[in-house]
Amino acid sequence: MSDGIARSRLAEERKAWRKNHPHGFVAKPETRADGSVDLMVWHCVIPGKNGTDWEGGYFPLTLNFSEEYPSKPPKCKFPNGFFHPNVYPSGIVCLSILSERRGWRPSITVKQILVGIQDLLDQPNATDAAQTEGHQLYVSNPNEYRKRVQQQVLQYPQSL
Amino acid sequence: MVSEDNVIEDSVSVEDDFDGDDYEYDDGGDDYDDDYGDAGDDDDDYGLVEDDDVDDPGAMVSRRPKLGYTVLQEADIKQRQEDDISKVSTVLSLSQVEATILLRHYNWNVNEVHDEWFSDEERVRKSVGLFERQVVDVSDASEFTCGICFDLLPCDNFASASCGHPFCQECWQGYICTSINDGPGCLLLRCPEPSCKAAVGPDMIDKLAPCEEKEKYSQFLLRSYIEDNREAKWCPAPGCENAVNFAVGGGDFDVTCLCSYRFCRNCTVEAHRPVDCETVTKWMLKNSVDGENVNWILHHSKTCPKCKRPIEKNQGCMHMTCTPPCSYEFCWLCLRAWSSHGLATGGFYSCNVYEAEMQKGNVDAAMRREMAKNSFEKYTHYYERWASNQSSREKALEDLNRMESENMEKLCNVQCTTMSQLKCITEAWLQIVECRRVLKWTYAYGYYLPEHEKTKTQFFEYLQGIHFFFFLKAEAGLERLHRCAEKELDKYVTADGPSSDFDDFRTKLTGLTSVTKTYFENLVRALENGLEDVNSTACNKTVSPRSPASPRSPTGRNGKGRGSRGKESPRAGGASKNVDDTSK
Repeated sequence: MSDGIARSRLAEERKAWRKNHPHGFVAKPETRADGSVDLMVWHCVIPGKNGTDWEGGYFPLTLNFSEEYPSKPPKCKFPNGFFHPNVYPSGIVCLSILSERRGWRPSITVKQILVGIQDLLDQPNATDAAQTEGHQLYVSNPNEYRKRVQQQVLQYPQSL
Repeated sequence: MVSEDNVIEDSVSVEDDFDGDDYEYDDGGDDYDDDYGDAGDDDDDYGLVEDDDVDDPGAMVSRRPKLGYTVLQEADIKQRQEDDISKVSTVLSLSQVEATILLRHYNWNVNEVHDEWFSDEERVRKSVGLFERQVVDVSDASEFTCGICFDLLPCDNFASASCGHPFCQECWQGYICTSINDGPGCLLLRCPEPSCKAAVGPDMIDKLAPCEEKEKYSQFLLRSYIEDNREAKWCPAPGCENAVNFAVGGGDFDVTCLCSYRFCRNCTVEAHRPVDCETVTKWMLKNSVDGENVNWILHHSKTCPKCKRPIEKNQGCMHMTCTPPCSYEFCWLCLRAWSSHGLATGGFYSCNVYEAEMQKGNVDAAMRREMAKNSFEKYTHYYERWASNQSSREKALEDLNRMESENMEKLCNVQCTTMSQLKCITEAWLQIVECRRVLKWTYAYGYYLPEHEKTKTQFFEYLQGIHFFFFLKAEAGLERLHRCAEKELDKYVTADGPSSDFDDFRTKLTGLTSVTKTYFENLVRALENGLEDVNSTACNKTVSPRSPASPRSPTGRNGKGRGSRGKESPRAGGASKNVDDTSK
């Protein structure tokens, strides 16, 4: 993209988000120590969907945008060791719309990313595993898997 | 080098003959022949060339029954590409741009484009991304919001692919440039709208990209015509920009480029008959890097089962996607298509296919064997001999060139003879060059001869015995010939006047050339038949489906070799073979 489009697009994303965003979600650019705003890093919270095992959890996610955004997707990262079949041990989310080669298009919005990841929480992709533990429990031991998800929900309560 | 030139002229004449024919499908006629296996017609066209070739002194040991390929220079490639595009555009009544997108999608196979299009135009349009009607129309509005920068802009600033999704020209430019700078995957670019499959073709690039990117794009497009084409390959010689098209089919795997480099069209390593591609690939990998790197490559990388590019696995997931334009999705463990995986195969680190193979002890057996017998002495033994024949060959080529450029005339004057009388000297040197090449590869073959597979041991001992016999005779013959051409000839060049025994020398040299040639033909035949025999024995034992077009030298001496040269391209043979090897 031509110079500065990453920032101007993110400013627009910020505006659009403020005007309207899905309930329970948080998405805001990082505030540096000196009080200035860094549009390239967003701290977000994704609520677990109601009626699923993930309900009640508020999961922190960091979006790291590069200068090439929106030509290239942001890196989306849960905390290290996040339990989910499609989250790498580093916390990076493996999702087709976030893959430069597979599904990313520059017109995908922050809102679409966050909602997409919320859907992924309860509907993991069994053919695209990114961690051993989450995947193996998911395919071979559904009870233990549910238990682990519920434990993780308790680990991330709504912050006030 | 005279003979090499002959060979090339032959290849050009093939091309000329072909274009001169009043075929409805002039280039595509190649495919036409392949599809319908009209051997009679084929033979008529090339009968002349075949005869020429028999007299060609350059053919020597690896004599080609006929030339099954055409060397293309950049202008030829452009011309053929344009012709194909025009052909599709005319037949299907599409614009040149649409025809280009279609052809690229079907790897430049004109017939496949026609077949697919006529069987289900709707489906083809959908999967390729050529929309007849726009799904979005903003032409009436005065303003629109760009879906990338989110700016509200006047309508004269938008552009869209065939789908009509509007984005501003700056954002389009950014989108296109990023994709072009990421590599040839840009040839498959789609509309920036999520889940819209409309193709972004060369017209959009032309309209919206800056000069530098336009240039890159057209290079990618040109390269794609060779690289994504099952019937063409670039000449691997450094600095050579020619390509070889072997759509005509038949003939040997060894091809000779206009730059005079000879290479195997299946694996693109230098010509290596009678040794098979697999052995050569292993051997070259072993030589190209020191031991530690070999280990690293064996442990951390595999080649894409489809396009054969090496892939390093740097993230956890077993679901691999090759870089575009290949984009093949496969399982890292068993190397099969990802689409064949799912919960049923265990999905993740426990790919069932792989586990089952592991239990049978098949996976990576080659690698373990590699490690086990990686005794340094053995390798050094074979490598030294391989390398010394390699350098002997290069030296012989230099000597041949010097002989032709300087000494021949001198010899004519000193010995008061004619150039045609000295033809035997050129022939002797060409024979030496060819024999050094064959000899060199027998060492790669020897290195990989199995030593401790019990079932095969006896058989191989027997075979090795035969080989060894031919081998010794051939090697000894070559040494005699080489000495004769190198040392003894020198005497006559530097003599003060005509030597009385020069005629005897010529007779001796001609005799040695002919004897050595026979020895090497025997050696090549023994090796090739040996491979065939071993292979058929192995097949009987394991009931492994071998492709008839597996990348072994196809002609042999026993008649026509590959009888059915249908759609089974050598490349496809190589691919399936690779998978076979891990699955037996």
